[in-house]
Amino acid sequence: MDALLATLVSGLVLGSLYALMSSGLSLVWTTLGVFNFSHGALMMVGAFVAWTISEVLGLGPVVGILSGTLAAGLIGVIIERLLVRPFYNNRNMLLITAMTTLAAMVILERGAQMIWGARLKQLPRLVPGEVQILGTTISAHEALLIVLAPLILVALWRFTVMTNRGRSLRAVGQNQDSAALLGIDVPVAFALAFGISAALAGLTGALLGSIRFITPTMGSEPLTKAMIVVIFGGLGNLGATAGAAYLIGFIEAFLIFGLGLYWTPFVLFLLMILVLLFRPNGVFGGK
Amino acid sequence: MANKRQLLAIVALFAALALVPLFVTDSYIRHLFIIAFVYAVIASNWNLSLGHCGVFNFGHLTFFGIGVYTAAIASKTFGINPWLAMLLGGGTAALSALLLAAPVARLKGIYVVLVTFAFSQLVLQLVLSQSQITGGAEGMVRLPFLQLGSYSFLKDFKFGYYYVGLALLALSCLFLAFVSNSSFGKSLKAVRDAEDYAAARGISVARQRILALTLSAIFTGIAGGFYATYLRVASPEVFGFGTLSLALSMVLIGGVNTVFGPVLAALVLTFATEAMAGLQGFEDARFIVIAVAMILVLRLAPEGLVDLLGKLRLPVRRTQT
Repeated sequence: MDALLATLVSGLVLGSLYALMSSGLSLVWTTLGVFNFSHGALMMVGAFVAWTISEVLGLGPVVGILSGTLAAGLIGVIIERLLVRPFYNNRNMLLITAMTTLAAMVILERGAQMIWGARLKQLPRLVPGEVQILGTTISAHEALLIVLAPLILVALWRFTVMTNRGRSLRAVGQNQDSAALLGIDVPVAFALAFGISAALAGLTGALLGSIRFITPTMGSEPLTKAMIVVIFGGLGNLGATAGAAYLIGFIEAFLIFGLGLYWTPFVLFLLMILVLLFRPNGVFGGK
Repeated sequence: MANKRQLLAIVALFAALALVPLFVTDSYIRHLFIIAFVYAVIASNWNLSLGHCGVFNFGHLTFFGIGVYTAAIASKTFGINPWLAMLLGGGTAALSALLLAAPVARLKGIYVVLVTFAFSQLVLQLVLSQSQITGGAEGMVRLPFLQLGSYSFLKDFKFGYYYVGLALLALSCLFLAFVSNSSFGKSLKAVRDAEDYAAARGISVARQRILALTLSAIFTGIAGGFYATYLRVASPEVFGFGTLSLALSMVLIGGVNTVFGPVLAALVLTFATEAMAGLQGFEDARFIVIAVAMILVLRLAPEGLVDLLGKLRLPVRRTQT
């Protein structure tokens, strides 16, 4: 029973992490129709910037995390402007942007390697101490992640549903031309979606930086997990994406418990291919 | 596509490559040529599915990796002759491509990217998890090398390996030229450019996609087998983003609609990256340079640099006639 509860809690931590990662990926997909391969690298940038501000400049973890979030968001806007926008009207935009964002990933990862080097780094925990949930002890920092993830998701959801700016993102995602006719500045909406998504990635990275080591390639594993999540949830629906994130978190935790660390990723990818074959719009997807 | 002038240039290129070892005795330069041949096979075969057929296949390097590991396991674990093990790599790669093609043929757009990418991750995880067979993250080392009778191909500064690599590239090019000029190759382009029309003319879109993927895996897998017997290591690194983006940049810079563009790009880029690796502080920056080059090509010359060169030459020809 204890083991079961511990697995549940670890699934909850993983699910929160995946929810933060995949909501950004899904936002860019619904608004721009772009699958951003550099999403994981943006997360890594957030972690490194947070580490530099907090540890090297000594401004503390809160300022660090905020600057990491901001820096990743800025780079996201730059990526949209330079690597995505020029290809909007291209027939093969989908494939081309997959390749340009892959190139962006290479540039960011190698750039980080050059700037920060290969030495392992870690951020201090935002909140010290430990917390007991369901009889399982986890660090207070992980508990903060569990609390923060749903709050951010709800904020994002409220933004896209209840504010004009947010609604403009969805309008652009559904029909660019008619959105433009309604007076929505389409390029601004695109830049906004990319910026928010990248900022979310940066925030996730900065938070993760005190749980895992900060390395130039720290983003690639969460990116592939986020990819599995978006496929499970179906590309294009924030609620379904969030649900799928927690589902995958729990599945992964139970697979690790039952099958061990080695077989878990294999089974997850197999599940992903099966879902794509039989329910290409996601487990919760309609149409 | 293959006019006389181009054909002549290609024959001249291969003749020149065949003469290189007579003048270059430096083992390191020869090594670079061999690696370039391997990349040329990967990139030009990838182009068959990506460029000619328009399948957004992001798992092409997996076929290469499967070739590497097949040859490694066959020759080291089972003691099969390395020559045969190398060819076996092509067989298993084609088989895995057939397996992958079944779902891919049914899907469209971004889902093809995602499934092929997931497939590459699946194989990588399998390699990592089966460490008693594959050596796990450390990989396999001291693999058997190529021999002919009692002559070891490691001797004479890689003389033998150079020609095996070149022969592999030549065979692969002949194969690709044959495929792309056949009616099958033309139907692939029809599927890419006008799917509905092609289907209306009686071309089975799914079948052509499956065939294109499977054919593109054969020489890629053999190249993997060759790579394993040459470097004598099999490591999970071949599945990584690094090799993927390098090979992708070769396809794009060389031109997605040609057979020989990626071959040229592979030769040039292999030497360019190696030259940059020698410069102080460029160990990581060279990958950034290539990524930027890839973006610029997509932006300015989407048909590839080789095509751009062809366009630049056109006005000159007109003034001559």
